[in-house]
Amino acid sequence: MLDRFWRVKALQKPLNGAARVSNSTLPKDFDKGESAAGEPRGFLANIPEGAGRLAELLGAAPLRNEFGEHLALRKWFSDVADGVKTDCSPLGHGLADERMDASALRLLLPDAAEEAGDPRQWLFLDTETTGIMGGSGTYAFMVGIAWWDAGGLEVEQFFMRDHSEEHALLVTLAERMAERRVLVTFNGKSFDWPLLETRYRMTRTLRPPAPRAHLDFLHPARNLWRLRIGSVRLQELERHVLGWNRGADVASEFIPEIYFDFLRGGAPEPLVPIFLHNQMDLRGLAALSSRIVSLLAEADLAGKDGFELFGLSRICERRGDATRARKHYEQSLAADELPAETDRVARHSLARLAKREGDHSKARDLWEGMLGNSREGFEAYEQLAIYYERYIREPQRAASISRDALTELQRAKRLGTIARARYQQIRARFEHRLARLERKAGRLPLEPIVEESPAQAAESDGRDKKRSSHARIG
Amino acid sequence: MTASGSGHGLALERATGTVPALNPRTTIDTVQDALSALAGRYRTDEVLTAVRHIPVREARFVPMPSWVRPELATAYRGKGIEQLFSHQGAAAELARSGKNFVVVTPTASGKTLCYNLPVLNAILEDADTRALYLFPTKALAQDQLSELHDLATRLDDCFGVFTYDGDTPSDARKAVRERGHVILTNPDMLHTGILPHHTKWTRVFENLKYVVLDELHTYRGVFGSHLANVLRRLARIAEFYGSKPRFICCSATIANPGELAAQLIEREVEVVEENGAPSAEKLFVFYNPPMVNRNLGIRRSYLNETTRVAKELLARKLQTIVFANSRLHTEVLLTYLQQANRPQPGQPEPVRGYRGGYLPGERREIERGLREGRVRGVVATNALELGIDIGSLDAAVMAGYAGSIASTWQRAGRAGRRSGASCAVLVASSAPLDQFIVQHPDYFFGRSPEHAYVQPDNLEILVNHLKCAAFELPLSPDERIGSVDLQQVCERLAEAGYLHRSGGNWHWVQQAYPADTVSLRSVTSDNFVIIHVTGENEGEPEVIGEVDFSSALTTVHPKAIYIHQGQQYHVERLDFEQRKAYVKRVNVDYFTDAIRYTQVRVLEIAEEERIAGPAARAHGDVLVRSQVVGFKKIKFFTNENVGAGKLELPENEMHTTSFWITLERGLLAGLPFALSDRQSGIFGLLYALESMATLLLMCDRRDLGTAVGERPASPGIETDWQEFTTAMNDPSQMKEFFEPNLYLYDAYPGGIGFSEPLFRVHDLLLRRTRELIAACPCEQGCPSCVGPVGEKSERAKEAALKILEQLCA
Repeated sequence: MLDRFWRVKALQKPLNGAARVSNSTLPKDFDKGESAAGEPRGFLANIPEGAGRLAELLGAAPLRNEFGEHLALRKWFSDVADGVKTDCSPLGHGLADERMDASALRLLLPDAAEEAGDPRQWLFLDTETTGIMGGSGTYAFMVGIAWWDAGGLEVEQFFMRDHSEEHALLVTLAERMAERRVLVTFNGKSFDWPLLETRYRMTRTLRPPAPRAHLDFLHPARNLWRLRIGSVRLQELERHVLGWNRGADVASEFIPEIYFDFLRGGAPEPLVPIFLHNQMDLRGLAALSSRIVSLLAEADLAGKDGFELFGLSRICERRGDATRARKHYEQSLAADELPAETDRVARHSLARLAKREGDHSKARDLWEGMLGNSREGFEAYEQLAIYYERYIREPQRAASISRDALTELQRAKRLGTIARARYQQIRARFEHRLARLERKAGRLPLEPIVEESPAQAAESDGRDKKRSSHARIG
Repeated sequence: MTASGSGHGLALERATGTVPALNPRTTIDTVQDALSALAGRYRTDEVLTAVRHIPVREARFVPMPSWVRPELATAYRGKGIEQLFSHQGAAAELARSGKNFVVVTPTASGKTLCYNLPVLNAILEDADTRALYLFPTKALAQDQLSELHDLATRLDDCFGVFTYDGDTPSDARKAVRERGHVILTNPDMLHTGILPHHTKWTRVFENLKYVVLDELHTYRGVFGSHLANVLRRLARIAEFYGSKPRFICCSATIANPGELAAQLIEREVEVVEENGAPSAEKLFVFYNPPMVNRNLGIRRSYLNETTRVAKELLARKLQTIVFANSRLHTEVLLTYLQQANRPQPGQPEPVRGYRGGYLPGERREIERGLREGRVRGVVATNALELGIDIGSLDAAVMAGYAGSIASTWQRAGRAGRRSGASCAVLVASSAPLDQFIVQHPDYFFGRSPEHAYVQPDNLEILVNHLKCAAFELPLSPDERIGSVDLQQVCERLAEAGYLHRSGGNWHWVQQAYPADTVSLRSVTSDNFVIIHVTGENEGEPEVIGEVDFSSALTTVHPKAIYIHQGQQYHVERLDFEQRKAYVKRVNVDYFTDAIRYTQVRVLEIAEEERIAGPAARAHGDVLVRSQVVGFKKIKFFTNENVGAGKLELPENEMHTTSFWITLERGLLAGLPFALSDRQSGIFGLLYALESMATLLLMCDRRDLGTAVGERPASPGIETDWQEFTTAMNDPSQMKEFFEPNLYLYDAYPGGIGFSEPLFRVHDLLLRRTRELIAACPCEQGCPSCVGPVGEKSERAKEAALKILEQLCA
């Protein structure tokens, strides 16, 4: 009689799921740990055998509370990197003891509680998990937290040696979070924190801690540096923004498998790099947050990195601080190091802000400098045409700009530097505009302003509309 | 859907609408008139095999129960519902007393009220109450949404109702979870989108009082077996959050609604079968296209005949819906009917098509046109079979049998939903089931013989869901899920690296997300994708479909003609390793039939019993080994063999369950036939048994496999390989059978629950098969009974009948 399970596909080993850990990424003595797989182990206390050695290797100790035990490790760091000269300030310097500038805080989190600006309340957090898909079967097997202390950064890591330790770990974490009520993460808003909330809900008895505020630095970092660096992975930011190279580090995609191997009785050594990885993430996050906060807080940034200034203006613009956005756009352009494409975006945004504030001549100057075959270039033609038609009331001039735009467009088409659909779309717009302008020019000065087409009305913002309706009345 | 409106409301709609209401008598007369025109010069009883008059049935009312909240009663009164139909009343009381139940009712009997009334009443009594409604398709959920929105408006929007499916924008999902009292979704979304993320649904699960399963009869076979396991997972999660939901199910008429519901929800189930809704009189007609070649059993094309029927009805000003079984046939019929019904100058097209693939706006426009009477005829696929409100039409014409009695009634129900006489015409194709149905009207009009079966403990399916369950919540050693030894399976899953035991429980230890790899519509996710690569000019390669691993070798082997939505494709290449088949669009006049060597090895006999014959019946576990070694090209219509080819493909093994009949030596020896006639008779019999089994099991021909093999001396002993093709065989090449086993096995790894039921109903199976063959007017066998004559002996039909006679003695 055959075992009825032998052919069940669902019981066969996953083909690609278990990404085997490549030995080159692991410490040399990885294979030395004897595997206990296949040997019977106790059912209830199923802590993997390697757990004891892991504690020794790390200098960690079990932490006990009324719900059980888990491993904990505590370390204090004075600098982002060990023994490496970095071009950023030591951890904790300058920021740790003083409150954050209120306007800088608003740029980070518009409706943040006041205490969010107090770095002594900050608790940095980063997790290592068994997967990146989320859902109730993904565990945070390691939770690292950190806070400013004694001119440096205190890092504490909690590790579940086994699933049964999760409850105790979550209890400890909740205690720590009650001490410092502002959560600070990098991509934690969409990943680490929802995952931990799920873990708390899974206990059915523990409530997820409720931080007073949650500052996440992924989005500001993206705004500030993606243009220059391309990637906004923390490691890349450390290298390019903080000037620190991590060196040997475990690749994130191997982390779950290393943990699973440990659970199944594998050697504890491969886990050590994960502890270090998590520490580096926390130190990097702490250093990066200082950097971002000082960028947001510093009033005079003239002469600084043009990319950062550009990113800063994006943040200000999105948070509705138009004055500061304009200032930083101007500073970033003055730095004269933006690539052509970004430079155009900056000018374009600046012109838009100027127009919105009624500074039409400033906007006109910017547009005139941007004319050409680019997205913003054609936009500039259009805006100029609108400007001459509506504000200066020179339809002939507007028509001539539209003709220039069409010439430019033809040239772009001949050179093959414009996509066909885009070409057709832009051409239709200018031809439509031109036809209307020519009609209008013919009728001047009897009918100063004719009725706007809906398309035209839609292209100007509210303030323009108000103006043009005034003009009509006049 | 206006299913819960009273007769009064509908009558009003008809009177004020633009539909010219024909008086019932006239409709019946008009149809009678059309029928005599159709039968014309043919022998009426051969063409019109049944003309049944279904009389008016009066509504049976019960008062609105006193416990119904006054505001809810007022809301229903506002919709014209003062009292309940008796079955609605029974359902309401069962729900009130906390029972799980299934309501079995025909179309337009107001079944949505059976669940909306108790659910909304519970929400009005306690605003925390939550309910989950499951519909087999997204479209049906959408349809229910409007009915519930209407009620919500009448109740001052005191409850939230939302659909939650793949189309729900991600920014709206949070609102659905927080504000939805009633969540309309489908099993697939529950499986991949809700259960694995249950912590986000805490409020819903903590307060989950009702789970509604509509169209219960669609949850059978593979889909049903999966659903049963999804519901096991749902129950686990609900229990985790401290709730124990009640189940309210609705089903079309099948023979075993209570059994099916009980198997799906694994709880005791009450059945409400008595229908208190009124129905108008109806004429139900079976139309069998006339024979053109009696010898070969060839009839006139049923598509042309369908056109003729619809034309006659449309010409008599009857608003008509025509159902086709494929998109292609929809288009063909539409072309014919539009040619025959040109629009008046300046008027829109009076006959429209309706199927999947039409844009939503276009669909709504057609639905409205039908309700308002502007559209006089519509040709549709099953897209219009359920739900969607198109008002009441005068006539429904079906081009071919819908595959089950339940859906045939649902289609017929689209004409004359509650008032006004109507007619339904079923035009039979030459497929065996069609022919059986039209020649045995009592089978159709009698008590439903159709059973829906599931096998929730199919190991392949169950183990996949155990993985999902472990992901959702660690498996505890005290849990009971299905009939498996949970510890044993968990240990196996741990060995394979999926689970890890700690703190006594089994935890998920994979990065992958198990629900993503489990499709509810197939047993394993090991499917072949079909990639369409016709010429460079026609664009990028495009994935047009998937086939199960088990049927891939017979349907998409190299040079096969693969038919997808009526379009033929030639298989250029089969990449076995990558599980891909590359196809090109072609237009040929043949189809291919794989030549497959199949060997069945009995592993364990579950039950065996001697029957007349002498013979035996049995069911149990089997190992099916098969290999596709070649194929034949068969010409359409004539079924001529017009070519063949050899193939070298890997052998496939499948562990499944089977039902079989053993014809004992004494039976065969006593038959007055030559060896080749006898052998042909055996294959012909199996062909007919398969047809009849699919009918009884409400399944598709591809859900069952067939094979003939010498009875093994004892279980586990191998028998020789036998050639067996699905439609043809060449008995002259066969070695003689002395005591053959005729196997009907589940064509899914692990079995899907057909074998034991077949063993139980074998009596009915044999009797019906005998009727099928005996009533077929062909002379020597045709595709409608024992299979095409082709290479079969001329006496195949006779021999098969003789064997059946012995078996039924």
